Amino acid sequence: MSAVEPLALAAPVIGPVGPLPDGRDAPFWDGLASRRLLIQRCAGCAAWIWGPQWNCPECHRFDPDWVEVEPRGRVFTWTRTWQPFAPEFAELTPYVTVVVELPHAGGRRLLGLLLNGDGVRGAGVAGAEDPVLGEDLEGVFQPGSELTGGTAVLRWRRSNQQRGES
Amino acid sequence: MTVIKGVAVAGIGETGYYKRGTAPYGALGLCVKAILAACEDAGVDPHELDGFCSHGDDRNEGVELAAALGCNELRWSSIVWGGGGGGLCGALGQAAAAIISGQASKVIVLRGHAENEGARLMTAVSHEHMNVHFRAHGVVSPTQVCALRARRLLDHDGVPADAFKALAQACYFHAANNPGAVGRDVVLDDDRYLGARYIAEPYRLYDCSRENDGAAAILLTSVEEAASLRRRPVHLAAVAQSQPRHWGPLIDNDDDYTSAGFKLVGERLWRATGLTVDDVDVTQVYENVSGAAVAALIDHGFCTAQSAGEVLTLENLIAPGGGLPVNTSGGSIAEGFVHGIGLTLEAVRQIRGESCNQVPDAAVSLLIGGPVAPFVSSAIFTAEAL
Repeated sequence: MSAVEPLALAAPVIGPVGPLPDGRDAPFWDGLASRRLLIQRCAGCAAWIWGPQWNCPECHRFDPDWVEVEPRGRVFTWTRTWQPFAPEFAELTPYVTVVVELPHAGGRRLLGLLLNGDGVRGAGVAGAEDPVLGEDLEGVFQPGSELTGGTAVLRWRRSNQQRGES
Repeated sequence: MTVIKGVAVAGIGETGYYKRGTAPYGALGLCVKAILAACEDAGVDPHELDGFCSHGDDRNEGVELAAALGCNELRWSSIVWGGGGGGLCGALGQAAAAIISGQASKVIVLRGHAENEGARLMTAVSHEHMNVHFRAHGVVSPTQVCALRARRLLDHDGVPADAFKALAQACYFHAANNPGAVGRDVVLDDDRYLGARYIAEPYRLYDCSRENDGAAAILLTSVEEAASLRRRPVHLAAVAQSQPRHWGPLIDNDDDYTSAGFKLVGERLWRATGLTVDDVDVTQVYENVSGAAVAALIDHGFCTAQSAGEVLTLENLIAPGGGLPVNTSGGSIAEGFVHGIGLTLEAVRQIRGESCNQVPDAAVSLLIGGPVAPFVSSAIFTAEAL
């Protein structure tokens, strides 16, 4: 648990976390609150859709389904942020953000924070235990906190690391 | 798409670059300063201006500018939608459309901002363009967004990191000859580049542009009108804008992820003008970060991911001797950054023969707008009509 908690509780987040102003992604956030990853899929042509839309960009049918997807993925790309781009981040850098490719959702991608196992928060050395493109990741549902305005979020950890939280 | 016929740059003007948050005027005042300088350069009475075009969420609307300048009649006011510098050249295209269609005759293309007033970094950029699906995961800056792309450009496409370094070094090399460049005193040797702190890996400090206060303006007219004015006309020969399918505001779900978005722009520019990359004498490529410019050069056909290491060397990227001179006034990285508009001025100066790092007899000058933006654009200036 200790390996995860520091970043989990003090994540580099600014501004309100939750649905876009028009609410077209509200089911995604509702799903995270009940520990389910929901991604859009067209009920007509079966295209996976992300980012969230009101309609399918391929066949233009409205009201895509929200399909539960296993929260597993692969590192598509990553960056380790050292610059505190917001004052709130000063104590949190460095941290690693990954773009996660979801094989169970047609290869659609999500951004997320890599929780433990990036080797950086302890080492403070660039290049230490860098993520590798294609590496397996698993999602961690993180309950809402004060920082996220009470909204649950999905974080990620490396699949080959020992689980560090409940 | 065909070439643009009959539109020319008649004048350019700028305020120079202030450290972010230190400009003596708000953005509107800075824009007026730049516009007055462009009118002085051209020999045009500012009251005769009748159109304004901008890009990148510029807050300085044509109506405000026309009121501030006392313009006789505003007939055209437009902006390329969307953030980033993607619309840098699209705004030139809007001005050309206004002039060719007879809706306006003396059109200013401009960009200006002052951080104290506009708070561009933390409002326009972080909150409007990095939506919650970025912000919830610590991604609030374009540098980070570009860093994600760059990591895959390096690790998947195999572009060598030395290409990023060469691009940044070329900018600082050119800035040394530019008295107005913010980074003119930085000698960016390998040790300084590689020893600098990381901002967002793989980007270190000198891979990144800085945000400045300032403004710049370009006055466009018909070629006939420009020929009657003070300066030799510089022809705006072509503009192409593009958002390909499966590219854009997709929260990093773009198909061609390591592209900078210009592949169709490049194809269309070369097809329309009959020019090739070999005909380009000098290039200004928007580089908020080094790797995004590298990707843009690949998109336009100057090299491939495989040949980037051979083509994008410092020696080849600098004027006057290099085969692919880029960002000859120092660019966004080393001259200063007002959303890329300084690059437009330098593209014009090269055709005029007035650059601080002049490419001898430059006749074809390529301008590449903001890379990795949802809607990107490029333009070609020429000494003679195509």
